Order: sequence, then structure tokens, then C-alpha cells
Amino acid sequence: MSSVAGYLGVAFLLFIIGAVGVALRRNSIVVFMCIEMMLNSVNLTFVTLSQVVGNLDGQIAVFFVMVIAAAESAIGLAIILSVFRSMRSVETTESSQLKW
Amino acid sequence: MSIAGFIISFLAIVSGIGVVAFRNPLFSAFSLVVNLLAVAALYAVLGAHFLAASQVMVYAGAIMVLVLFVLMLLNLKTESGREFSIFKVALLGLAGAVCFIGVVPILFSSFAAVPQHQLAQNAAANEGTVKAIGLELYQRYVVHFELASLVILVGVVGAVMLANRRRGEVAMPNTAGVTAAAERSPTEPSPWEQRQARGGKI
Repeated sequence: MSSVAGYLGVAFLLFIIGAVGVALRRNSIVVFMCIEMMLNSVNLTFVTLSQVVGNLDGQIAVFFVMVIAAAESAIGLAIILSVFRSMRSVETTESSQLKW
Repeated sequence: MSIAGFIISFLAIVSGIGVVAFRNPLFSAFSLVVNLLAVAALYAVLGAHFLAASQVMVYAGAIMVLVLFVLMLLNLKTESGREFSIFKVALLGLAGAVCFIGVVPILFSSFAAVPQHQLAQNAAANEGTVKAIGLELYQRYVVHFELASLVILVGVVGAVMLANRRRGEVAMPNTAGVTAAAERSPTEPSPWEQRQARGGKI
């Protein structure tokens, strides 16, 4: 087994764990943390394959993903805060008014 | 994969399961800190030193402080009752197993062909040092870099606008003070006057 497959397998497992968390958890902050974990697993894939290909483009992509993740976390937590203000709860089952 | 890589991967997966499995969101957050640090260590093992450092600073530093801050601010209780139905778990487990069976053989067959020594050569040739990343970032990707700073700026302004709003008000920051003043009855002293009456102390 090549070590590339090992790293990609770890990234895959982390992504699956994050996706399961997004689907199962009701606390929207925990859902948010699971999304961060999925972003991280994709970053790990980028870094691994950047070493396989032999140039730095993958690592640059990871840098930009980190920048977007920082902006996303600021906005996401602000949204969670304002939802908490109007609903008095961060449970995803409470704020289901837009559901069909 | 080296011994260090193996141990760190194990740590990353265990702490990742912890994020999902802990009932208390605070424990989930600390588990996520461990997970992010483990991923940073994996970057370092893979030779991406700059990314390892910025992962520790941006994720484990800034983002997790923000998450913990919001968690402490909201003062959430541990979720009670059964979290999820057995049917949902079974369905997700089935989907995960199908993905796993589909992906893993491809992973192992396609990357087993890459010779180990060539991989090490590649990794040594393009080590992600600060110098190498910086040269790429300021030469080929300079426009993207500037756009990223613009995205951060817009994100921060949007976050302040979203979080600053009071309950029952529209998201118009320049009318917020006017509405608050109109809601007060004319006889009631303003907060500033109340504070003055108490001798200037809050």
C-alpha cells in the first residue's frame, strides 16, 4: 500500500464523519463544526495530491480555502447568533419555517 | 505512511468521531481543536510547513476561539433525549458503506502504482516552505490574493451587520438608533440620562 492511499483514506473517513454529523446532529453549532471538519478533509486531499503531482498549486488552493473558511465562520456564527435571538434556540428542528 | 503519520491519522479520526458523538457541544468543540491540530501535524508530515502553521493559527486559533466564544455566550445546555432515530442511522450507515466500498478499491489500485521513492522525491522537490508558497502567491496568484482580502473584508462587515441587529428590527443599521428612541416613552429618561443620574457609573 502506498502512503498516498493512506492519507486519502484518512481524508475520506474525516469527510464521512463530518457528513454524518451534519445529518444527525441538531445543534447548529455542532453542524457548523462538522462542516469545518469536511473542509479540512478536502484540504488534506489537496495537500496529498499536490505532493503526488509535484507542484504547489494544491497548497495554494488550500490557502484560499482557509481564507474563505475564516470569512464563512464569521458570517455563519453571526447567523447562528441572530437565529438564537429570534428563536431562543439553536436547534435545527426549531427553525423549520422554510421547510415545505 | 510513516509511524508518525499513522499515529496522527488515528488521533484525527478518533477526535473527529468525538465531535459527532459528544452530547455537550463544548466537548465537541475541544475535540475539534484536537482534530484540527492533528490535521496540521499531517500537513507537516506531508511537507507543507506553511500550511501547517497557518492551520494552527487560522483554524485552531481564530475560528475555534470564535466558536467557543459563541458557545459560552449562548450558554447551551446538553442536548437531552434521543438525538436521532435508528432508521436514520441505518440509512446513513448504508450510504457510508456503499461509498466506502466504491472508493477504497479505486484509492488502493490507482495510487499503489506511484512508486514510493518518486513520491519522496516529489515531496522533497516542492516542500511547501514559506518562501515557496510566498513566491507562488505573489507572482502567479496575486490577483486571487487581493480578491481574497476583499472577501474577508466583506465577510467581516456582513458579520457585524448580522450580529449587531436587535430583536424585532430590520437589518438597517442606520435606523436602529431611531427605532430604539421611538420605542421609549417620552417621559422615560434615556439610558444616558439614567447613567448620569447614578453618578456616571454604569
